[in-house]
Amino acid sequence: MESLLQHLDRFSELLAVSRTTHVRTWDPVTVRRALQWARYLRHIHRRFGRHGPIRTTLERRLHNQWRQEGGFGRGPVPGLANFQALGHCDVLLSLRLLENQALGDAARHYLVQQLFPGPGVPDADETLQESLARLARCGSAVHMLRFNGYRKNLNLQEDSLMKTQAELLLERLQEVGKAEAEGPARFLSSLWERLPQNNFLKVIAVALLQPPLSPRPQEESEPSIHKTPGEGSQALVHWLLGNSEVFAAFCRALPAGLLTSVTSRHPALSPVYLGLLTDWGQRLHYDLQEGIWVGTESQDVPWEELHNRFQSLCQAPPPLKDKVLTALEACKAQDGDFEVPGLSIWTDLLLALRSGAFRKRQVLGLSPGLSSV
Amino acid sequence: MAQDSVDLSCDYQFWMQKLSVWGQASTLETQQDTCLHLAQFQEFLRKMYEALKEMDSNTVFERFPTIDQLLAKACWNPFILAYDESQKILIWCLCCLINKEPQNSRQSKLNSWIQGVLSHILSALRFDKEVALFTQGLGYAPVDYYHGLLKNMVLSLASELRENHLNGFNTQRRMTPERLASLSRVCVPLITLPDVDPLVEALLVCHGHEPQEILQPEFFEAVNEAILLKKISLPMSAVVCLWLRHLPSLEKAMLHLFEKLISSERNCLRRIECFIKDSSLPQAACHPAIFRVVDEMFRCALLETDGAPEIIATIQVFTQCFVEALGKENKQLRFALKTYFPYTSPSLAMVLLQDPQDVPREHWLQTLKLISELLREAAEDQTHGSRRGPLESWFLFIHFGGWAEMVAEQLLRSAAEPPAALLWLLAFYYSPHDGRQQRAQTMMAVVAPCRRGDLQPCGQRHSPAPTEVARDGTPHVAHCPAKRPFFPRVV
Repeated sequence: MESLLQHLDRFSELLAVSRTTHVRTWDPVTVRRALQWARYLRHIHRRFGRHGPIRTTLERRLHNQWRQEGGFGRGPVPGLANFQALGHCDVLLSLRLLENQALGDAARHYLVQQLFPGPGVPDADETLQESLARLARCGSAVHMLRFNGYRKNLNLQEDSLMKTQAELLLERLQEVGKAEAEGPARFLSSLWERLPQNNFLKVIAVALLQPPLSPRPQEESEPSIHKTPGEGSQALVHWLLGNSEVFAAFCRALPAGLLTSVTSRHPALSPVYLGLLTDWGQRLHYDLQEGIWVGTESQDVPWEELHNRFQSLCQAPPPLKDKVLTALEACKAQDGDFEVPGLSIWTDLLLALRSGAFRKRQVLGLSPGLSSV
Repeated sequence: MAQDSVDLSCDYQFWMQKLSVWGQASTLETQQDTCLHLAQFQEFLRKMYEALKEMDSNTVFERFPTIDQLLAKACWNPFILAYDESQKILIWCLCCLINKEPQNSRQSKLNSWIQGVLSHILSALRFDKEVALFTQGLGYAPVDYYHGLLKNMVLSLASELRENHLNGFNTQRRMTPERLASLSRVCVPLITLPDVDPLVEALLVCHGHEPQEILQPEFFEAVNEAILLKKISLPMSAVVCLWLRHLPSLEKAMLHLFEKLISSERNCLRRIECFIKDSSLPQAACHPAIFRVVDEMFRCALLETDGAPEIIATIQVFTQCFVEALGKENKQLRFALKTYFPYTSPSLAMVLLQDPQDVPREHWLQTLKLISELLREAAEDQTHGSRRGPLESWFLFIHFGGWAEMVAEQLLRSAAEPPAALLWLLAFYYSPHDGRQQRAQTMMAVVAPCRRGDLQPCGQRHSPAPTEVARDGTPHVAHCPAKRPFFPRVV
């Protein structure tokens, strides 16, 4: 077992080095050894996929390495971050070496020979060649579908690019959570600082709307050890609640409908969301000349957007909808319980929502009952 | 060898030109043209590889100075990379270009360049910067998630197609014809990639709302080819849709079956049945439009071969499989018999479609007499413009081998004077074009051997055991030496 772990350590180092200019010093023998180790680890993955204890030990070792390199908060994620990655560590290594132009002539020639031995060569690592060919083919497939058939789905949670990113995020969070209790929060914060924020927020929203994680296709034969569905989502909710500026950006950037879905699905978020909306509303004042509610600063949320969001929330299923209306009524009462427009934004909002609902019922041919609002 | 080399040079020029025109295959014309040539280009690559692997890098460049350009152009065409094994062979060819011991910096640079191209082929996942940054930030490499991404894209497109199919009036969410056509073109190289099956199925089954066919014919051809070569497995509903939407595919499937039957050395009935069932045609024929086309092709084959017994045997086995498949269909979704046999009286069709085994022995004679009567009526129908008449009636009758067998059996078994109706049937079966007098003579000729117990028809299916062996003792096979099955062993 110890030798296996050492092997793992050494291969991880190798993988990290494979991206650097250090490979200039590599000769064919080094390349051969590297590929052999990779093949060995791939074999280990196949052999012990179902074996709980060995798998856990290996995974723990990998997580420790990750932690040592700066923990889940700092630094990039290492090449081998979990047991699953061992399943294609040879492909990983091969690709990194192929991308590395610092590779010497002899090493390069040897590498290419090993990776692509040609048809029907005995003793050659056929599976690696097939995996690489498959990667090329599927990559082309994705490229062609993306540029010829794909259309961005306005319903973000059904968009395939978003979905895939969300699935990856949830998976990573679950792993990090397994390795360390506080891991996910730190990890998310580091991502927030490093990655394009707009995209990140959208991915978070889509992730929060995913159905509970099911095992990945490659792992279907393996028992889902430690895989409790929803752990990733919980980590996300927890982090959002703990980071008010992130949550404010979250609520600002995303469309009303998406936020309503997210809040319905994760009730813990609704008080904070409502709180934010109330704050935004209080920043607006009534312009007597124009007859509309306006903000004082440019970054204030305009009336239309506020109205939009409340409207969307009022179309949500019961627990959320009632909470929203109660909150609005409470705000209205606090302001003085006016019925006349122009004095309290909450009155005006409720009026707008009611008339909107009335018009909607008319359009739908329903009786003009105002019982719901 | 020299000739091969000359051929290769010619091909080389041809493909170099083609690749230059195709570029990255971003327009409709270039995509269509690429799709038409995918298989041939792969063949060319294979031949190239066979030639290149024998040479060292310097020789390669002496022989084909622009080979690096040719291969690079191929790499930029995603259709080529996506097709079958082309990406693999392309990589092998590129590997042949690598100089094992570069003598100067130029050769070294070339090696670097080749490495770059190889890397490019393998990193075909090119994304929006944001997505790439995100996945990298999470520590994932494309190899970790390409499978999941492809699956998500395929499922999302398939469900969009299905929605488009069902959602008649919501024009906002409709898929434009251009997009559909584009999607079908893009699927052509990907047909044999199992991950794309749900999309192929959705394209076949969901036909949107335009009155004319939108999907590209290359797509249908490619799917059909893959089905015939068993390189894809689609549900029956999708296959039926394919054959209904694209007639040449159905015809090709039939021709493929004929070829298999012809090229197979010894065709026993069991083998024929295997081939036929394997082709999925009997099941598909439960849809009347398909049945009619198939039947028409059988008819043509029969006329072309002058009534060859092999074709008759095939028709009989096919009909048997067809009736079996029909029986398994949902009763409520069944079409009326008239749609399968529009020129036959419903009563005749119904009686013929019965399984002879299902008829109790006591009723055999009665049933056969009825068949004889109805068939005679149809055969002797001289009405101008009717589609009945001797040939059509005969064609109908030979579909059902079981009845002719039963006639023979009845004639053999009964000691009494054979009924004229049965004799007529038998004579008609073997010789539909005879005039009245000729047929009467034939009938007389049959009577004598019947009395003797010598009658042995050939090419029948459930023949009772004694007639399995021919007169001269050799085991009976449906492949009859004589072209016309005119009582070969009787007269």
